[in-house]
Amino acid sequence: MFIIPKEKEVPLGCITPAPVTEQPMMITGNWREYRPVIEQEKCNLCMNCIVYCPDACWQLNEVEDEVVWNAKYCKGCLICVNECTTEALSKAYELDFEDGVVRLEKPF
Amino acid sequence: MASKVKQITVWARGVVQDKEGRDIANGLANAAKKEGKFTQAFDNYVDLPDRVNVPLRKYARISDEEIEERYEYENEKPEVVIVADATLVKGINVLRGMEKGGVLVVNTDRKPEDILKFIPNRDLLKAIVCVDAKGICGEATVDFSGSEGGVDAVGLGAGMAAPILGALVRGTNLVKLENLAAVVKNKEALYKGHEQAVVKTL
Repeated sequence: MFIIPKEKEVPLGCITPAPVTEQPMMITGNWREYRPVIEQEKCNLCMNCIVYCPDACWQLNEVEDEVVWNAKYCKGCLICVNECTTEALSKAYELDFEDGVVRLEKPF
Repeated sequence: MASKVKQITVWARGVVQDKEGRDIANGLANAAKKEGKFTQAFDNYVDLPDRVNVPLRKYARISDEEIEERYEYENEKPEVVIVADATLVKGINVLRGMEKGGVLVVNTDRKPEDILKFIPNRDLLKAIVCVDAKGICGEATVDFSGSEGGVDAVGLGAGMAAPILGALVRGTNLVKLENLAAVVKNKEALYKGHEQAVVKTL
């Protein structure tokens, strides 16, 4: 019988573990024209933004009990704004903010 | 590369501004050709432009003598940089390779000062020109005609490219406005962009 070593075993249901590190070769923050802005008072932690974000740019901060946005990789697709159940998320034009600057030397 | 060749780089958004960016480079090169100059205009293959909103480049070159650099597909030292979408200044070092005394043309409804605060190497610039092309022409035309050797059914400069080209004449002396008017389809927007452009000399 073919024995798979313990460290190479695929997790149950063949689902790979969540990515824990950033991908520095593919920073997509400069694709963004509009960004999602969260009002923490309205948010009821339904986690829709975390589930629907294609780039995992929404993460749950378990200490503060709130969702946190990642400016470096958010492409501004605004799927999270669409899926938000409590209208805590809204879109805002990127030039209104001082932060979120990526400024790469080359696109890739 | 000989210094006589004037290099113009256009930054635009993938897919949604693909045609607009190409129209700016092509319109500029065609207008300069009417003045008897030697020109080149081409897209960048490196940027993988077939994804929505990805930053991409289009290039134009204008020279009084024949351009000999046929096999260099990037403008290393752009003299004029055109940014077709203002939010690109936060994501990309748009002035990369520029020598002192360049010109930046930005499509935005904001003031030049609001754009300049996002450009740390702004001392390279001689002037910045801001024009609200979206206010003049409305939304960008999402169109692929004219791409990769296809027939351009929409026509050169039917959309946002026309006011940006008009604003370019205010900041630089690369081409004359009447030569651009002979090339560009939406002449009204071209003149409007020329009038409404805000020039700030640094």
